[in-house]
Amino acid sequence: MPEGQIVKGYIVPGMPHVMLPRESSSRRELREACRVAGANAQEARPDVLVIFSTQWISVLGHLVQARPNPTGLHVDENWYDLGNLPYDFHTDLDLAHRTIDVATAAGLQVRPVDYDGFPVDTGTLVALNLLNPKSQIPVVCISCNIYAGREEELKLGHAAADAIRALGRRAVVVASSGLSGHYFTREITDDEDRIANEQDDAENRKLLDLIAAGKCAHAMDLVSDYAAKTGADMQFKSYYWLMGALGAEHAKARVLGYGSIWGSGAAVIEFTV
Amino acid sequence: MADKGSIVCGFIAPHPPHLVYGENPPQNIPRSTGGWEVLRWAYDNCREKIRRLKPDVIIVHTPHWMTLVGHHVSRVPRLKGLSVDPIFPHLFRYNFDTAIDVELADAVHDEARAEGLIARKMTNPNFRLDYGTIVTSHMLNPGWDIPILSLSANNSPYYFSLGVGIEEMYKLGRATRRAVEKTGRRAVLAASNTLSHFHFDREPDPNLPEDMSKEHVFSHANYLWDMRVLDLMRQGKMDELLAVLPEFIEKTGAEVKSGGLFWMLAAMGFPKIPARVHGYWSVIATGNAVVEWDLTADANGAGAAAHA
Repeated sequence: MPEGQIVKGYIVPGMPHVMLPRESSSRRELREACRVAGANAQEARPDVLVIFSTQWISVLGHLVQARPNPTGLHVDENWYDLGNLPYDFHTDLDLAHRTIDVATAAGLQVRPVDYDGFPVDTGTLVALNLLNPKSQIPVVCISCNIYAGREEELKLGHAAADAIRALGRRAVVVASSGLSGHYFTREITDDEDRIANEQDDAENRKLLDLIAAGKCAHAMDLVSDYAAKTGADMQFKSYYWLMGALGAEHAKARVLGYGSIWGSGAAVIEFTV
Repeated sequence: MADKGSIVCGFIAPHPPHLVYGENPPQNIPRSTGGWEVLRWAYDNCREKIRRLKPDVIIVHTPHWMTLVGHHVSRVPRLKGLSVDPIFPHLFRYNFDTAIDVELADAVHDEARAEGLIARKMTNPNFRLDYGTIVTSHMLNPGWDIPILSLSANNSPYYFSLGVGIEEMYKLGRATRRAVEKTGRRAVLAASNTLSHFHFDREPDPNLPEDMSKEHVFSHANYLWDMRVLDLMRQGKMDELLAVLPEFIEKTGAEVKSGGLFWMLAAMGFPKIPARVHGYWSVIATGNAVVEWDLTADANGAGAAAHA
């Protein structure tokens, strides 16, 4: 069996506004960037998508979806008026369990979840909708532990990459996450949407410029400060996980789009190794 | 026009799914050998009280429906489905089926707006009730023969500050009280939250979660804080209680921060009557108490009317 590889990596927004309502012309740049990311991901012909979502929150270690065929209908607890998120996808069970085994051997607390009706989160479903709209590609879904820090997420990313290599998979790895996390606490129209404040916008752009310049490892060193200043989505820890999987020293990135979702920052970033 | 309604009783009604798991009701799929009996027996007292009071509605403020923009009310006549706890799916996979008091939902929404709050009605029939609402509702009324109304926890105490959050909850409490009065409801309130909230970061034994030999409160300091707060409730020292809650939250990570208790106390008019602590115990190290404020004249004499 040939050694597996990660063929692409992405950061995509997990907010449903980039896909619902489906006919909306709002957030045009982000939606177009998502479309491009989806097309590029398909073109890479992956065997599997591995998705780390900041909206799948866990507190006792990390969880990995181990249900063979999760199906259901999800309604976001905040944005229920945008519409429903039906899902029906297949899990790469071998890769899910191998990831758990490798991560556990590395000292992490990681457990499978295999329950009918287990809630699949909005961030995972938005990423799937963008990158795997026909559900043809098997998936591994990983939770975001609210207490985990840089070292733990890096280890978890390494574990996913090791498992991918060991099982010979062509994988696309995806962090479903926002950027700056300050949002409008009042009702707004789509036309009013913008990054909530100038500092957040400046910090987002600074980080994106660094990543786009190929300084992914250096950007990792700035994440803690960036997150503190911007209230970043789950401290932007998904970036650690993604760099753990991709290898920060060799990752190259392209920012496909940047914009706001209800005041928070959102970007579509494509990584290659 | 409806006769003037009233809030007849308020409970601190914590929602660890372990309590449902320990009880083994038919609605929950996982089976246990018991566990957390002291808290479950405490809830037995509440069930008995609710049966006697025959309220029209149970209003639950839940920290596990966290909303970013305003305060949301469930506004679908009936919600039904399977709720699987995202944190403890091995303990809680519960088939729920409940009537929602939509007339009261409309009234709370309108009164909240009148208070200057942002309020929204959740009208999506596919919405999955959060496990905080379900566990609290089940523990108070396992037969689900009383309509409920679920109120979300706005993120303001975390996003802005505790002070901002408390102010919002006082407004929501006043709004809830007026809505209850205008709709003629006899309402029970439930603040679905724990007290001290530091917890184990690993289950002691995932294969036997109900092993009570492994259960204990997180620290003696947390225990002392929980007892201090409960003692103030038992003595009816409302002013002292309100004064100490911010420090309590800071020191113990108390889930009270999410707002439910402030909302309930405001809705009840900050009653200076002794609360009844039905029971206290830890669940994966968090401090949980079942506490009752009975606002009926029967319980408190004529003076209770001033509070109720």
